[in-house]
Amino acid sequence: MMLANYIGAIALIVIGFYAMIVKHDIIKIVIGMGITDYGLNLLIVSIGFNEGGTAPIFTFGELTSGMYFVDPVPQALTLTSIVIGACVTAMALALCVRLYKEYGTLDSRRIRRLHG
Amino acid sequence: MTYEIFKHFPVLAIMCYFVGAFIVTLAGKRRMLRNVVAGAVMLISLSLLLSLVVPVMVDGQIITYWMGNWEPVEGYAIGIAIEVDALSLFFGLLVAIAVALAGFYSFRYITQDDANGPFFTLFLMLSGGVMGIVLSGDLFNIYVMLEVMTFAAVGLTAFRSWNPNAREAAFKYLVVGSIGSTCVLLGTALVYAQCHTLNLAQISAMLPGNMNPTMVFAFAMLFTGFGCKSFMFPFQPIAADAHGAAPSSVSVLISGVFTKTGVYGIIRVSYFLFRTMGLTSMQTLLVFIGCVSMFVCVTMALNQHDFKRLLAFHSISQIGYILTALGLCSALGIAGGLYHAINHTLFKGLLFLTAGAVLYATGTTYLEKLGGLARKMPQTAALFMVGAFSISGIPPFNGFASKWMIYQATYEKAAETGSIGYALVTVVCVVTSVLTLASFIKVGQSVFFGQLPLEYENVKETPLSMRIPMWIMAALCFLTGLFPDLMVEYLLGPATAAVLDTARYIDAAMGAGYAEIVANSTAYLAEPVLVFAGTWDPVSWLLLFVIVMCAVTLVSLAGRRSRGALTLADDAKHATFFGGEEAEFSHVASGDLFWGFKHNLRGYLNFMSRAHSGITNDYVVWGVCAMAVITVYCFIFM
Repeated sequence: MMLANYIGAIALIVIGFYAMIVKHDIIKIVIGMGITDYGLNLLIVSIGFNEGGTAPIFTFGELTSGMYFVDPVPQALTLTSIVIGACVTAMALALCVRLYKEYGTLDSRRIRRLHG
Repeated sequence: MTYEIFKHFPVLAIMCYFVGAFIVTLAGKRRMLRNVVAGAVMLISLSLLLSLVVPVMVDGQIITYWMGNWEPVEGYAIGIAIEVDALSLFFGLLVAIAVALAGFYSFRYITQDDANGPFFTLFLMLSGGVMGIVLSGDLFNIYVMLEVMTFAAVGLTAFRSWNPNAREAAFKYLVVGSIGSTCVLLGTALVYAQCHTLNLAQISAMLPGNMNPTMVFAFAMLFTGFGCKSFMFPFQPIAADAHGAAPSSVSVLISGVFTKTGVYGIIRVSYFLFRTMGLTSMQTLLVFIGCVSMFVCVTMALNQHDFKRLLAFHSISQIGYILTALGLCSALGIAGGLYHAINHTLFKGLLFLTAGAVLYATGTTYLEKLGGLARKMPQTAALFMVGAFSISGIPPFNGFASKWMIYQATYEKAAETGSIGYALVTVVCVVTSVLTLASFIKVGQSVFFGQLPLEYENVKETPLSMRIPMWIMAALCFLTGLFPDLMVEYLLGPATAAVLDTARYIDAAMGAGYAEIVANSTAYLAEPVLVFAGTWDPVSWLLLFVIVMCAVTLVSLAGRRSRGALTLADDAKHATFFGGEEAEFSHVASGDLFWGFKHNLRGYLNFMSRAHSGITNDYVVWGVCAMAVITVYCFIFM
């Protein structure tokens, strides 16, 4: 079951990079960056997963000796990573808006004043 | 003597910047209040770090601070650590000094821009992020700080609303930089999957000797990620774009401080966490990347027509020196690399600030338009000369001292391994140095010397508040070059020892003896012994330098000089070659100075120029290719 998660995560990362390499529309490049991020988040959460584990919350009344938790650290990491990913997307889209106003196009092949 | 009180200093130094960043926003449009807050924050952080020099550098303590006092339980790190050893402090000092000088310069420099408040917020966020990276002892913390730093840097790159290229540069920077961030996070996640901890000390106790394929992949990812942050070879175009568009005082930070976090990350990852630098294959990889960055960027710089873009390529070229020296994995090489790191921050900072002064005075950094400014801005010209001499490695300035150490280290390595490759590395280093000098002659000729164009007749010297930071940097360039022995004794020696002595770092964090229990052996790499093949005597060089300078001055004074500005006919330059009467007064433009050289190398230069196509997708391809190549290389050779 976890293997599917890992394969899915790597597939998402690769799809994200593919979009960043092949797509000339800068909005699609930003979407590619987002997909890469989601793949990474999936990977990190999967790392902390334990088959049959409960939520990592101490509730002493219900706690029995046979119970165990999923790892809470990767979940915290994922939350941070999601926040950062949202910031990246917001910032990139803001720049896209400005670029469209200044260049009149979203084509990355025509946004190349800086070269050589 | 007890050092209990010093424990709190590193975390305060980081917090100062972040707290200051928000207080500055409250100041709004009140410029005086804003300057006072920003200045105070930068000075407090600097003095906090300076006070750590005695305990860490001289007495050899390692300061560990557990956030919220969550100390390790049963040999497992729970909390987040701030750990300061000599290496961290070395980079921390570098950051604090560069930030303070660039910050004081910006007070006046930034008045040309419309938005004053956000600048210092972002500026201090960037400083805090960098400081967080170099002082942190937690892998995920490093990633978060890396992102904070990248955001602030992207924001500052796009900051100048009147610069038409700023948004484009920022976008490319964000996209390509995100590859680096992705790599670092992926590597961090994989390390956590294997070690179940994020504490640097604990990871470095567990990892070495336990390399499985996941760890090899994690190493490749972390290496590429930090490499991206240091703008090593395939990532160099975004650096050039960002530097060209950002305000000069921000370029100082991006070039002097931001790239250093990449270098710091590479040291931490390959010398500390994975300890792969002992492998010949890893040394070859790092030296190869260093040499390619060095050479490609210096030739790209020869081709540039914009002052700041040219400086940006030189900046990466110098990073190539640092990576090469670190890749040698000998005590002398590491010391040389670290020495060059601090020198690079100083002279590159100085050069970017002079570029900023030129921009402030004339409103352009386009080399072909400028000329003869030395007459109007004599101090800036003198400061530029100091920076140019330093970066080109001319004694007695600091660039020579560190390059000399790097040459020795590469040469020693060649003698030790008996391989022709390392001798070739020395040659590449020297050739790059020569090309650096050539392109700075070009800049000096086309900006500060030659004929003054008519429109710059009323240009004035930059204000005093901008000149003082530049003079301090110039003085530091001079001092660090004059006293290499003191530098080695108090800064480089302890830092080099810290790089090679992992066990002490682990013990300081996790309790004495931890490294020995967990790791199979604590012995690693070379003993930190610094032996020089030969030292240089700064005083006699200085004497020679003074004599030569006197001679040059006499000769140049003997000739007649034309004073004042002249109008140039449009075809005056070409008239030189066709027997025109105006030949005497024509200004040789920067593009023409080395035209013979460039003409002979046109195939290569045109190819490189086309390769830096400016299309975001191309740069992403480069980055992803670098990632793939490094991963495959690591899997084959590790």
